[in-house]
Amino acid sequence: MRTFLILLGKELRAFFLSPVAWVVLALFMVITGQSFSLSIGLLREKPSDFSIVRWTFFPQWFWYYYFFLFPLITMRLFAEEQRQGTLESLLTAPVRAWQVLMAKYTSAVIFYSVLWLPALLYFGLLHWIMRGEVEIPLGALGGSYLILFATGLFHLALGCLASALTRNQIIAAILGYALILLHFLAGTFLMYLSQENPDRMRPVLDQAVTMRHMDYFTLGLIDSRPLTYYVSGAILILVLTHQVLEYRRWKA
Amino acid sequence: MMIDVQNLTKRFAGRTAVDGISFQVQPGEIVGFLGPNGAGKSTTMRMLTGYLPPTSGAACIGGHDVFHDSLKARREIGFMPENVPLYEDMRVAEYLTFRAALKGVKIREVRSSVERAMEYCGLGEVRKKMIGTLSKGFRQRVGLADALVHRPRLLILDEPTNGLDPNQIRQVRSLIAQLAGEHTILLSTHILSEVEMSCRRVIIINKGTIRADDTPEALAENLQSSGTVTVELQAGPEEVSEQIQGMGAVRRLASSDVGEGWHRYELRVEPGEEIRVELAELAAARHWRLRELTLHRATLEDVFVELTQRE
Repeated sequence: MRTFLILLGKELRAFFLSPVAWVVLALFMVITGQSFSLSIGLLREKPSDFSIVRWTFFPQWFWYYYFFLFPLITMRLFAEEQRQGTLESLLTAPVRAWQVLMAKYTSAVIFYSVLWLPALLYFGLLHWIMRGEVEIPLGALGGSYLILFATGLFHLALGCLASALTRNQIIAAILGYALILLHFLAGTFLMYLSQENPDRMRPVLDQAVTMRHMDYFTLGLIDSRPLTYYVSGAILILVLTHQVLEYRRWKA
Repeated sequence: MMIDVQNLTKRFAGRTAVDGISFQVQPGEIVGFLGPNGAGKSTTMRMLTGYLPPTSGAACIGGHDVFHDSLKARREIGFMPENVPLYEDMRVAEYLTFRAALKGVKIREVRSSVERAMEYCGLGEVRKKMIGTLSKGFRQRVGLADALVHRPRLLILDEPTNGLDPNQIRQVRSLIAQLAGEHTILLSTHILSEVEMSCRRVIIINKGTIRADDTPEALAENLQSSGTVTVELQAGPEEVSEQIQGMGAVRRLASSDVGEGWHRYELRVEPGEEIRVELAELAAARHWRLRELTLHRATLEDVFVELTQRE
């Protein structure tokens, strides 16, 4: 545990002491802040089926930036160690490969979570300015955070895997992006197939289609099946990543 | 026994890098691992430090198997990999603190361990600098400080002076000499003078196998018995070679023209033979003018070339 915490501390420092992280954080605040203010404008003009939470977290352009986030966070993790050769000094210290992996992954999850925190402030601010006149649907808020966290766990694991496969950060980023997009498109493809035969496809859809999950959770419908899907998916990918790290040494 | 290697073999796809080597190192020894580039030095060291798993064979560090009991074995080792990989964006003291904690130094002792290692390696003036901005010499010292920060019993240094200028090489070498009392050291190099100066024992490795394992002096002595004699005579090669071939003890003869009728002859002599007196008498008898007659003591370099190029 101590080894893990030392490694985690180092990874977190690497995140929060690098200018890139702050640029990402600032950009991300601009995007979510913009979404927030646009959704207020939207709701002022006409009534909507969706809540302000839904419009803030999942505007139409959500999918444009959402997938870029993960490769940006994870591309450095292993590729950089392999390029500098520091994986060798790391793994010849009394440290297990899975401790290194979990420390890196956990630091990525923490950074990702921090990205979403400022959005909470927006709703708090709105509540304060409106003196409680506006209703902020807490169920939808909780659901949104939960699904963003769960999908994040899965996508960050995919990013880790991509980074472990190469020593080049750019390749790691592109590969990670491709893997995440592939998973997403497989889901939309399932949705397309289901148009013909909705009833039979339904159980599959509820399990594996990210877009569908987001729809439910942002309404405040919290379902344990997608959560299980993403968490077990993340574990599977991390086990695979561990195998990749070990394999590179065996083959070397 | 600090290091015990038994039939260690590493095969990469279609290529055998290390081929069934065995050796032992006792506590307190300083052993030089000598061989041309690509001989299998780094691969062996990486197996000893648990980074590469061996294809077959076994190695123990301080009684712990490097494969089955890897963490315990790794705790005994301070390893400085080839080319000293370091985190470019960390500061020197910060990096060493991280490494000390990672290698299991107690929290209360981390600070003093780092200070001690930095003082030892002369890193005081760069303690707050980014590692990425350091010169090669300082990087090498950071690598060394990292290797010894947790006071391991065994130091494994892969080409510690690689790429340094002569002054820096001297500094690193004297550092190693200072460390000798406290640690067992296994260092690899392809620079011969380094081994002669720092090591009490040399293991010469080539193409994955051990070619020699002895003190530098003993290795040189073995070869010295079949020494080389240089003689400069004012006499033509045909005449001289005819006479010298008759002497029997000479194995090989090479000549070169050095002008004004002078020729320089290199004679390879059978072990234990002394032919200088005989040569002088021969020159006198034949009325050859003689201006040089020298027996060369074989250096470690000769041993090295002899052992690694004889194919």
